[in-house]
Amino acid sequence: MAKKNSKTISVSLATATCSLLGTSVTTPVQAQEEPGWDFNTALLYYGESDDRVQDVSLNILGRRTYVDDRFLTLGLVLDSLTGATPGGALPFSSPQTFTSPSGLAVYTTPADVFPLDDTFLDTRFALSASWQQPLSRLFTMNAGLTASKEYDYLHLGANFKLARDFNKRNTTVSLGLAFANDELDPEGGAPVPLSAMLDVGDLSNKTGDQSKDIVDVVLGVTNVASRNLLFQLNYSFSNASGYLNDPFKFLSVVDGTSGDPIARIPAPGAVGPLYEYRFENRPDERTKHSVFGQTKYYMDGKVLDLSYRYMTDDWEIDSHTIDARYRWPVGDSSYLEPHLRYYTQNAAEFYRISLVNGAPPVSFASSDYRLGDFDAITVGMKYGWKTRSGNEMSARLEYYMQDGDAPSDQIIGNQASRELYPGLDAIIAQFSYRFGK
Amino acid sequence: MRVKHQAAMALLIATVISGCSSMGVEPWERDVLAKEEMQLVTDPVEAGIDDHIYFSKEASSGGRGFGGGGCGCN
Repeated sequence: MAKKNSKTISVSLATATCSLLGTSVTTPVQAQEEPGWDFNTALLYYGESDDRVQDVSLNILGRRTYVDDRFLTLGLVLDSLTGATPGGALPFSSPQTFTSPSGLAVYTTPADVFPLDDTFLDTRFALSASWQQPLSRLFTMNAGLTASKEYDYLHLGANFKLARDFNKRNTTVSLGLAFANDELDPEGGAPVPLSAMLDVGDLSNKTGDQSKDIVDVVLGVTNVASRNLLFQLNYSFSNASGYLNDPFKFLSVVDGTSGDPIARIPAPGAVGPLYEYRFENRPDERTKHSVFGQTKYYMDGKVLDLSYRYMTDDWEIDSHTIDARYRWPVGDSSYLEPHLRYYTQNAAEFYRISLVNGAPPVSFASSDYRLGDFDAITVGMKYGWKTRSGNEMSARLEYYMQDGDAPSDQIIGNQASRELYPGLDAIIAQFSYRFGK
Repeated sequence: MRVKHQAAMALLIATVISGCSSMGVEPWERDVLAKEEMQLVTDPVEAGIDDHIYFSKEASSGGRGFGGGGCGCN
């Protein structure tokens, strides 16, 4: 009997290992599972300082277990987003007025303040469904669909993954493919790339809907090294093509000597920007390669989880991510888990803090801080416990901080005395509840 | 250069697989590995939340899994 149980455990574990490759929303599989539903829920608050983006998010992942290691997983995410976000203009010693993304209103930023667009408000729904089952003794497949909807954005995706076990199921090799089509329909239309920001009501620089396609391939190996140690190594290829701009981002047009914005006069009787701004433009294709490695090590009840990712792309962005978690049991039914993450990236080749008036035209330019040169650190703590009924609860609190610099060769004249990179501080607070097992 | 990268990656993965065959445990030695805290992703909802946050705020995504689209994040 004991041997039969061990075999069940090994099969379930191998399935679990496979299931953890390939998709970002996967479900850990427990040994000897009975058919039935279980639910993994979380309420999240994500809040950036300076009244920037605030998100309250409800997450539900339900999983139906069937006999013979077959699983149906259904996910729902509901995000409520408010707050302000950098539009891309530089701060200046006078107030700056911008036409809102819809083209139908203006907002003004005080002097010497980093310009933020506070017209941002959105609700996002995301749904996912996946089915997993063994195909033969050593092969497992997982097929899934994803969809999400925001006011001006629709995402549809499909994914498929095949995994095969080797070496007494100590090694699992998997290949995952995903395809997504995203459609953008910004209110008033997406701006013509590199066109000027116009007066309120002038929609002559707007185009229609835009879309992009994304293809992902993930090749992975998971290996049990010993009774206490396992690791995973993935290679990922990702290609995005189509409209890759952020339709809400623009750049200041500045004087080549002073670095100050170029003044602009709205048309008679019209309200509009008092300085020149141009909407961004990015290449219509991006190819990324990533290598991801993770290891888990069990030490007398404590578990160390370490991972590293290297990403490089043809926008000439390279990034490194190191993530460490240490799960520390407290008593019989609870644990503490400190978390540390470090991220660093360099700027895209077309990242510019501003456009110089009269300079030769550029094909691509973006001042989106997410394409800049920055480091980020996350520090967090989680506390998890089992309830009397055997369900699980956890609470985590994390602090996320970004710190970046403008490229020194792009700083012109008076810009040297101003804040040129917005930076970011955010709090992540989450409460999770798992039940039904 | 890119072909070189891909060839190096294929070689690395092949080496890992062949190296893996000398490691591992017997089926009855999986007591620790079967624990929930030893799964590669212990909390899939939290992993999804983190992926979404960092996808929205950084130029990199994926690695563990698919990095695809999914939001017009600000």
